[in-house]
Amino acid sequence: MEPVDITELYAAHRLSLVRLAVLLVDDFASAEDVVQDAFAALARRPDAVRDTSKALAYLRVSVVNTARSALRRRRTARAYSPPHDLSPPSPEDAAVLAEEHREVITALHRLAPRQREVLVLRYWSNLSEAEIARTLDISQGTVKSTASRALVALEKAMTATAGSSSGKEER
Amino acid sequence: MTTHDTVPGIEERLRAALAARAELVRPEDLEPLTPVVELRPRWQSPWVLLATAAAVLLVLGIVFQGVSGGPRSDEIAPKPDEQLQLPPDVGRDWKADDQSEPARLDLDGDGTKEKVEFLAEPTDERDGRTRVQTTLSSTGEEAFGLVELGTTIGINALDPIDADSDGDQELVLYTTDLDGGPGAPFEPVVLDLRDGLLVRAVPDDPELLASGDVAVPGSETEYYDRVHLQTFGVDGATLVSTRSVNAFARAAGGMTVLRPESYVVDTYEWTLDDQGVLRPGEPGCLVQVPEATTPCESDSADDLPYVTTESTDTIGVGEQVALEDGGLGYRARVEDQGGPTLVVDGPGAEGSVYGLNVPEPRVHVVSPGYLVGNDAASVLVTSGSDPGAMEVVVQTADQAGLVRLRPVGEIALGSGSTADGRAYRSWLTGAGVLVTAVAGDDGSWDAWQWVRVGDTEIAPLPWGTICFDDVEDPTSGRAC
Repeated sequence: MEPVDITELYAAHRLSLVRLAVLLVDDFASAEDVVQDAFAALARRPDAVRDTSKALAYLRVSVVNTARSALRRRRTARAYSPPHDLSPPSPEDAAVLAEEHREVITALHRLAPRQREVLVLRYWSNLSEAEIARTLDISQGTVKSTASRALVALEKAMTATAGSSSGKEER
Repeated sequence: MTTHDTVPGIEERLRAALAARAELVRPEDLEPLTPVVELRPRWQSPWVLLATAAAVLLVLGIVFQGVSGGPRSDEIAPKPDEQLQLPPDVGRDWKADDQSEPARLDLDGDGTKEKVEFLAEPTDERDGRTRVQTTLSSTGEEAFGLVELGTTIGINALDPIDADSDGDQELVLYTTDLDGGPGAPFEPVVLDLRDGLLVRAVPDDPELLASGDVAVPGSETEYYDRVHLQTFGVDGATLVSTRSVNAFARAAGGMTVLRPESYVVDTYEWTLDDQGVLRPGEPGCLVQVPEATTPCESDSADDLPYVTTESTDTIGVGEQVALEDGGLGYRARVEDQGGPTLVVDGPGAEGSVYGLNVPEPRVHVVSPGYLVGNDAASVLVTSGSDPGAMEVVVQTADQAGLVRLRPVGEIALGSGSTADGRAYRSWLTGAGVLVTAVAGDDGSWDAWQWVRVGDTEIAPLPWGTICFDDVEDPTSGRAC
């Protein structure tokens, strides 16, 4: 089987992968870099994937891992700032994202990286448990439990956000 | 997958918010980047050669006096003299990348922080050298160094360290391996101010101070190698690193590493000696758990290989079942069409058939989903009368039908005895992972996980050692 056509993949999947990366790092410039790195890695290892149908899965794994690395580096570079300080939406993003959605996205980025990844892959990428397990290199059982706990944590974070917002308004 | 009880609408809210956030990225927002093309090896780049030569002259002149050890990858550079040599004063006109942020730290120890800028060598691939330059607050003189970090995009420093405890701070950057895939190692680059130059301090064991999946030399086989899981970072003003005590199997291609969720790591604090060499201290111990670390206890150990469940529900001739395949939606049935025949229905597999060869075939309800790379049906077939018989049948990538995956590698699939008389047994875990345990000489069992290694091949990867009270009952698995 011939190596996959990277240019074709690039044209077909770059936008969706950048969107996936944005949901993970919440920063458009970083997301573009993450995806570019993923394609660059694939281009430099064309023999790693010879099946086009698997290339997207490979790229997805690469994007998730690279995004996690980017966040880790960003966190390290910021002297271990707590996760909720990591990646606030840019002003232009905040301006156009509806309040009801912004509350959810803000809460999402307070979650642990793996929780966020599971939720994004499940509720945006619409992957099955099995696919998420393969993407994150964890068991399906861990996917299930992580998703369950992540939703609880998301709810708590949203409650905290709402409380914080209302507090500001009262002042 | 999950129905949330306390906030019924949270899943819908999340789905809507994610869609809205994603759609803020419009096609026209994407940078008109040049499509990725395969690059020539880095060592062929004249820029890399120039950079390496300059950087190694800069670094090795002072650092490698008296340093022993094996050959380094940058031996293409000229051998250093015994004294610090000035690097070429290039890059004054280079510009900082938009995503690079100047670092602020006290390089000269006078209590005032210098502003350190990172100027990028302009190359087509944006992977040239970086000129690190500052003006020293104590003298007003310029200090600079040249480093190659793998990219010139987004150069940002970690927190500064004082690795030689002399009161001034060292700058910590890190490399990026654009050639690597997921888990590709990268390493810190520590720059110390010496004689008005920013000089790279090189670790005496560079591999120990890398982050990522670091291969064990000589561990490579046809289908896997073994890697240590490593990290580094700055804790306080100290450069610290961790390395998994054990090495874990990584499938060829780098897509899969059999990493346990919890594993024991050695920790190292690095100090800078008088010769400018970074040296690790005595190893400490931590347990790496998801998203955190915990202190070691006397019985701390890696998670056992996840083989202590077994999926035993099966169907036979005349029966059908909705496969437990993580929501993919495939159904399987076994028909007698002049012989037992597996029939699969579902996405792209309407009525796909496969003639079963094992006696009294039993089709497992749980799919060995790890053995297919994307949405596809997968079925494990065992025998009601022959414990040694086992087949994995999957939907082909082009959805043209069903095909058997051929076991290759160091051990056999199924159950029986090896050529040297060791018992082995294979089973499907509750999570749909196909595993084989091979008896050791001391009562322990070597666990192996089967992974896909080709279009129609699967191979076993070593997964660790475990003991069973009864290997026929995997739930009896325990630490040895």
